[in-house]
Amino acid sequence: MPGLRLAGIAKSFGSVHAVEATNLDFAEGELTALLGPSGCGKTTLLRMIAGLEAPTRGAILLGEADITAQPAHERKFGMVFQNFALFPHLSVRENVVYSLMISGIAKSDAMATGARLLDLVQLKGFDDRRIGELSGGQRQRVAIARALAQEPEVFLLDEPMSALDAKLREDMQVELRMLQQRLGITTVVVTHDQREAMTMADRIVVMSQGKVEQVGSPQQIYHQPENAFVADFIGRANFFDGVAEAAGVRIGSVLLDAAAGAGFRPGTPVSLACRPEVACLIDCTSPGTSLPAKVTFVRDVGPARDIHLETEIGRIIVEYARGETDQPFAVGQETTVTLPASGLHVFPRAERAAA
Amino acid sequence: MSLVSDTEVLEDASASAPPRQISVAQLVWWALILFLCLTPFVLVIAISFGQKIEGAAWEWAFTFANYERVFVGANWPEQFTVLYLQRLYYSLFYAVIAAVLAILTAFPFTYLMTRLSRRAQSIWLVFILSSLSLSEVFIVMGWDVLLSNRSGLPMVLKETGVTDWLKAVGWFDTLREWGLANPRNVKFKTSVFATVLTMAYLVWPYAVILLYPPLSRLDRSMVEAAQTMGAGPWTVMRTVVLPTMRLPLLGATLLLFVFLLGVYVAVTVFAEPAKQTMAVSVYEAIRGNTLNAPFGAAQAVVLLITASIFLAMGQWLSKRTAA
Repeated sequence: MPGLRLAGIAKSFGSVHAVEATNLDFAEGELTALLGPSGCGKTTLLRMIAGLEAPTRGAILLGEADITAQPAHERKFGMVFQNFALFPHLSVRENVVYSLMISGIAKSDAMATGARLLDLVQLKGFDDRRIGELSGGQRQRVAIARALAQEPEVFLLDEPMSALDAKLREDMQVELRMLQQRLGITTVVVTHDQREAMTMADRIVVMSQGKVEQVGSPQQIYHQPENAFVADFIGRANFFDGVAEAAGVRIGSVLLDAAAGAGFRPGTPVSLACRPEVACLIDCTSPGTSLPAKVTFVRDVGPARDIHLETEIGRIIVEYARGETDQPFAVGQETTVTLPASGLHVFPRAERAAA
Repeated sequence: MSLVSDTEVLEDASASAPPRQISVAQLVWWALILFLCLTPFVLVIAISFGQKIEGAAWEWAFTFANYERVFVGANWPEQFTVLYLQRLYYSLFYAVIAAVLAILTAFPFTYLMTRLSRRAQSIWLVFILSSLSLSEVFIVMGWDVLLSNRSGLPMVLKETGVTDWLKAVGWFDTLREWGLANPRNVKFKTSVFATVLTMAYLVWPYAVILLYPPLSRLDRSMVEAAQTMGAGPWTVMRTVVLPTMRLPLLGATLLLFVFLLGVYVAVTVFAEPAKQTMAVSVYEAIRGNTLNAPFGAAQAVVLLITASIFLAMGQWLSKRTAA
């Protein structure tokens, strides 16, 4: 199966730029997640890949072939829609083999493929059920089987988990990822759920306001965010506004030791981000800046504890996973928080999106 | 019973059992509605059993002679005639063809309309709704002029040389066989074609208005899903849109059909004398020169029962389709 390439693809609706010029490569057999808040252009990008939306500029290449002008029914990329878009007038089996039946394939062959696919998505025995008789999870499986029936070169999923409840969603994320790995099919998933993207994707494309903010593996995106938007949107972070100096970043009267700040000209206004699990209260070995702090709130959510602190540079949340430390923290307790120099991300000061 | 005592009775009733007062009010309301709705029907049914007094009006009676005349003719058993059954046949024939024609043409139009912007859809809907204000008489007058042999479309065809061309290529003879030409020119009056066309035109806005809500609710992602699975526009229409819309299509066709059973003006103007409908026959019996209200009422009842049978069949079919 050839890889997919977007070369300078852009889409405007009148004066609104839904997707700005975007260059992306989707490697063969890889699962890529298009991640971003509502209205960031991720679904428009997916629809352009499917052929359901014509790009205003740029080209879409499948291997060496330019497929930009090809309509959706000629591309035949399997697509799972947000609401699954199953046909209520057809049975489960008829839905699954729809693409095969309209392509004129022999009915016996189509039925055999349908049975195999229903087995693959663990819906054996559901062949003659009506769509209205299925649960949300079962409908999603039918939608996946239906999209895979035509053995598409590219598999597209538009917010496939949004119609499922939280528990089912997590199970289906793992299941879908395992299925994709087994089939080795180039897959693009649109989601606004960073947890979903981190669970399923080989690579994440973070988008905001029609632009690609960062492309990388889930770990890269989380640990090395390239800008304040990504640091804010992916996971949680303590944010501070400061000014770059030769020796670090100054916030008020405090000079923080920040390795990433070295790249900025002294006097540049910057934003500084620190993940809650990186900030440290006890047994801190990494070099960094220590600040006196006072515990203002403790939030125990079972697998982790959040300790809210008031410091000279503002409020800081420190997260300890269950088992990392048993030391109790009480509201009003005086302590010292260390912000490790290697764990501080420094960006040019800019607007941050609400995640 | 005085007004005061009536009020007292009502007050007493409300004190002992408040819900009963509501049900009495409801009862009166329903009785009024039923009276207003059913009285004309009951009257027509009652009159249909009456009998004509020669040289005068009619009188109340209980005879099946009028129904007998509808089904087997007035001189049965000596003579068997199907004149009025033939009129019923033409009522059904015109109504079925015109309803199907209206739906067939309104469906693609409405489908395309629902794909336009909201603003464009509103403009079209307002335009179509406003066309409903035109009366049947006004519409038929317009079509009468358009299809008239001396000044309408036939004249245009003759003047532009299309008639001569039709004669030259031999299609004129085919039109004559279909009753759409006289020896000199193409003619639409009187013809089944003109009758059905005008009837379809009459109900076309209703067809659009009936099909618009289900079509605008059609899940676009189903169409897109079919496209991503290799379905071209016609395949999408055949395998997704039409099967999804089969119930609204059936319902709309049935409604237009029943409405068209009662069309009068278009039939009197465009249908050949031998191919008039039962609605025309009803009017002729009641208001025409025969002045035979009981016989007109009997025909009206037969038409009503026919419409009811078709509605029941449609209901059964839609239940079966839905299942």
